[in-house]
Amino acid sequence: MTQKLILSIVTPEKQLVSEEVDQVNVPGTEGDLGILHDHAPILTLLRTGQLSYEKEGETISMVVSGGYLEVTDNRVTVLAETGEFLHEIDRERAERAQAEAEKRLGETDISEEEYIETQKKLFRAIARLENSENN
Amino acid sequence: MPNLKDIKRRIRSVKNTQQITKAMKLVAASKLRKAQQAILDARPYAVKMMDVLNHLAARCNGDLHPLLDVRDGNRHLFLIITADKGLCGGFNGSIIRKTAEYLKNNPQNENSLIIAGKKGNDIFRNRPVNIIEDHIGWTKDFNYLKAQTIGENLATLFSEKKVDKVFMIYNEFKSVMAQEVIVEQLLPVVPENLEHKEESFAVDYIYEPDEEAILDELLKRYMTVQVYRAFLESSASEHGARMTAMDSATRNAGEMIGALTLTYNQARQAYITKELIEIVNGAEALKG
Repeated sequence: MTQKLILSIVTPEKQLVSEEVDQVNVPGTEGDLGILHDHAPILTLLRTGQLSYEKEGETISMVVSGGYLEVTDNRVTVLAETGEFLHEIDRERAERAQAEAEKRLGETDISEEEYIETQKKLFRAIARLENSENN
Repeated sequence: MPNLKDIKRRIRSVKNTQQITKAMKLVAASKLRKAQQAILDARPYAVKMMDVLNHLAARCNGDLHPLLDVRDGNRHLFLIITADKGLCGGFNGSIIRKTAEYLKNNPQNENSLIIAGKKGNDIFRNRPVNIIEDHIGWTKDFNYLKAQTIGENLATLFSEKKVDKVFMIYNEFKSVMAQEVIVEQLLPVVPENLEHKEESFAVDYIYEPDEEAILDELLKRYMTVQVYRAFLESSASEHGARMTAMDSATRNAGEMIGALTLTYNQARQAYITKELIEIVNGAEALKG
């Protein structure tokens, strides 16, 4: 069977994945997407959440935050701000980040920009925690 | 006749210097390895991002976004990237020279600078040029977030029409031995693949949520990535330059020690001969 996709996931810090896979599931801003062979060209923004891909019957998951997905010609390119495989997630750190962000959001002297930033941090922390729960 | 003691002291001092330059070379080499890896890891992202941006910009109207706005004004802003430390050959000098040259040749423009690195700041602080901000000590703890802050700041200055063009001047990492000073226009963003325009029109993309929203996000991130990459290039170049400079310093010190040792031995021999002559002469005088 040659119905493969070439997936590459890159973050500013490094190239995380570059391999042939069968299916990619990504968290788009407008809803989750499952991408198979011969998908129409698409360019979409990603939200913070779980991205997974299937390769030879095995599913590999990771948490990505902020970025895009481009599909052309059976090449899937994910440009993410951060990306971590599930087993790399530091739960303690995420919990701390969540607590800090929640506390900050409850305060009154917060500027609009900081509010948005902190909210993003909170979402990231929550996504990390939720997705790493079952390991 | 050269004093034996003095020569000996000089040899010792050159040896000390050689030890220091050797150590610095080794430190630079190990830092270089890390910096080189970082830049090699960061390049794919920057390249991919450029691809996506070009695809998209080819399909969008140029004046859709404030960061694509081409203006004729003459207020130019330069982000110049130097190191915090010296002893790295012509690394800082070439950046400073390039910048100074530009400032001198374009006095009609309203130029301003954002300086990263202590060395650049030391020079331009005392010159009649407007410095908007400086980042001294960036080499110690640089990361993506810092690049984001700098990038966003540049974008704000540009979109609020306080400056009309933004350039970056930095050393690009060619190889361990070679760096090249690059002057790069950062803003307004000029998508480069106009000749591929037809081709990318043929591909019918689905956009979610829509072209404008994606373009906006993309441009913001593009700024950060370009700034981030420039800093990483500079950092790898710096270590490369320092390693080369220290390597040749170590070699020069070796040569100097060789020459001094020769002089020392000659002087010692001359001294011994002179003493022998004195003794023989004394004995002859007693005999007579």
